[in-house]
Amino acid sequence: MITRSLKRITSVWIITVLVLFVTAIIFGITMRFNQGKDLTMSPVGFYSLMTTHGITMIGIWAAAGLVAVNYLLGRYVKVSVSLNVFAFVTTVIGVLMIWATTFIGKYHAGWTFLYPLPLQVAWAKWATPVFLFGLGILGAGWLIWSVGMLLQILSKYSLKQAFAWQHFSKNPAVETPPLVLISTVSLIGIIVSLLTAVILLVLYFLEYFSGGNFTNDPLLMKNLTYFFGHTIANESLYLGLAAVYELMPESSGRPRFKTTWYVALAWNCTLVFILTAFFHHLYMDFVQPVGFQMIGQLASYFASLPAAAVTAFSVIALVYRGRIRWSLTNTLFFIGIMGWLIGGIGAVIDATVSNNMILHNTLWVPAHFHTYNAMGNVLFCLAFFNWVAHEFAGTQASVKSFRLTTVLLLIGGFGFVLMFYLGGAYSMPRRFSVYPQEFTHAAILASLGAWFATVYLVAIVLIFANIIKKCLKVFSPSFSS
Amino acid sequence: MVNGQAGKINPKFREFNYGLSSGKVCLITDAGRRQFHYNKSNEMREHAILLTIFLVAATAISLFFFFIYRSSLPEDGKGMVNAGKKRLFFALILASVLIILLTVTLPKSPYFLFADETPAKVVYVAARQYSYTMSYQAIDPKSAGRSDTIELPVNQPVEFRVTSFDVNHGFSIYNDRAELVTQTQAMPGYVNRLRWVFTEPGTYNVLCLEYCGVGHPIMRTSFTVK
Ligand code: HEM
Ligand SMILES: [Cu+2]
Repeated sequence: MITRSLKRITSVWIITVLVLFVTAIIFGITMRFNQGKDLTMSPVGFYSLMTTHGITMIGIWAAAGLVAVNYLLGRYVKVSVSLNVFAFVTTVIGVLMIWATTFIGKYHAGWTFLYPLPLQVAWAKWATPVFLFGLGILGAGWLIWSVGMLLQILSKYSLKQAFAWQHFSKNPAVETPPLVLISTVSLIGIIVSLLTAVILLVLYFLEYFSGGNFTNDPLLMKNLTYFFGHTIANESLYLGLAAVYELMPESSGRPRFKTTWYVALAWNCTLVFILTAFFHHLYMDFVQPVGFQMIGQLASYFASLPAAAVTAFSVIALVYRGRIRWSLTNTLFFIGIMGWLIGGIGAVIDATVSNNMILHNTLWVPAHFHTYNAMGNVLFCLAFFNWVAHEFAGTQASVKSFRLTTVLLLIGGFGFVLMFYLGGAYSMPRRFSVYPQEFTHAAILASLGAWFATVYLVAIVLIFANIIKKCLKVFSPSFSS
Repeated sequence: MVNGQAGKINPKFREFNYGLSSGKVCLITDAGRRQFHYNKSNEMREHAILLTIFLVAATAISLFFFFIYRSSLPEDGKGMVNAGKKRLFFALILASVLIILLTVTLPKSPYFLFADETPAKVVYVAARQYSYTMSYQAIDPKSAGRSDTIELPVNQPVEFRVTSFDVNHGFSIYNDRAELVTQTQAMPGYVNRLRWVFTEPGTYNVLCLEYCGVGHPIMRTSFTVK
């Protein structure tokens, strides 16, 4: 059931996420202008900002996905609002701790905190433990929240039903709504990834407090780090897709999506592929067993099959000659699917071992992940925000002028990532605060990228302005669900 | 700011680095050795091809979505006819394309490159915040810092044995047109072996492509191929 308190906490999340999003975009634009030499920051300033930007963005969009799924699950199962509030509190504490380490402590080991960089203290001494601890608090809150949601699903559906296995036989007795299936798959991924983070943090602290008596294995730590980082980033996207399945038909005035055998198959396979695709982050570590490298490429390739043939195809089939009532909500879903596919092409190219040789850690990497984040998952979540804001306000998503917003979003977003792709194809390295002079066009591309990102920011602010007033409605005393 | 407190890294690993030629950690696996005839490397073409493939695909997807969007506007609202069949057809085509691409690209993985050849030269590389040591001899971490001037033969396989004495770094080789030719990671406690045949003489620059701290963008070295 969707209660008033669920609406309120959802509204608090939405406003928090959007405020942090605008801030983190400004950090991103600042970095890009620095790379473009329009601005001059100290290297420490740049890398502290890069760490803040990365962790904040990953954090808010994972949170946004969980918020959306929590809200929408309320339609099918009994959901707990207190866990949601609890996770909000731990998130705020975690984020404040992390921002303190990067802004005050000048901590700058990157959001992936790849071992052993955080232990090579080049910042305030307290920053390393506080960063790791902040991450731990944030992660623990989400872990409990995610486990809670999974249990709430399992209190109504059996495990087999939650995975929609009954849909592999003819005429299943129970229908598992797509939202429940996708939430199950994604929550399991999130939980596994957060558990890995816990192991990683424990290993870090063991070494940190052992006074040199215990050291970790760098290869194991690298595997754990990327398993955690890759999985959390990807599952966020799948949480966003849960909202697409649930709301795209509804917001377009079309019959809702049904779980069929191929939808069930697609999402079951997706779980396996996501958990094994992370190996592609270690292609250039030749000491990694070759079998893992092969699995990495296979999983990365086949992850695209369910994505394109099931999810994207379903959205296309829904829209094609569908007499759609376009609003900001379904427009954002639709563009998001397109951005997700385009980013996916960039990802598959880079996930090919022989290409990775010349693309690994070039700007191609931020190119593709910004595509499926900034032009994919972010749009799914914004669509959900917009839809739910209308629900709060009791209004209909208007068909009025969102055209300007859409055009700014498309030009700004794709222009911004195009500059990264070009940089990657010209072998320009990622995570360089300034580029060596042999990369003659790097600064110009960076500058242009920053300007495009500014256009994107304008679109985001327009959407934000559209949403916030409606979100505040849930706090008026007269508001009733 | 150039620091990097030493002593955090397991001494066990250091010794291991020292015995680079022990061959305990080896990229070239014995399983499935194959002979590869490596084409003359032409990096610029490779980069351009990848960019072109991407841009063509991205444009096609965008146009397709625009077309789908337009079809949704006024009209009959007839929806997609035979959607099931179309979906199956699409899935089959996509699966075939993926399988073909896999069969073509997997054997080209660096793990199998020049596996059966004996390198004409072996170069030991040790990375640290924020410099490289390159030598024809195994590098002792205790007295590290002396680099040899590296000259490598053209058109013959050479091997780099790459490690790090502090954090993770990259060992990424760029030609004099600033095109990335090949790379591996420099990981503490492990030795990555990179085999390569340089087909063009000239000066090659080495940059770090794994974020390692503030000095990351200035960390570099170079060698020549004759
Ligand atoms: C238009 C808005 C954005 C701008 C201007 C922006 C800008 C940047 C820049 C300049 C970098 C550093 C690139 C480099 O490696 O040289 C970066 C890295 C990154 N961005 Fe964004 N970004 C934006 C949106 C996003 C979004 C929506 C996400 C969501 C997940 C995101 C996540 C990240 C991550 C994870 C990194 C890597 C940080 C690291 O290397 O440690 N960004 N961004
Ligand atoms: Cu570096």
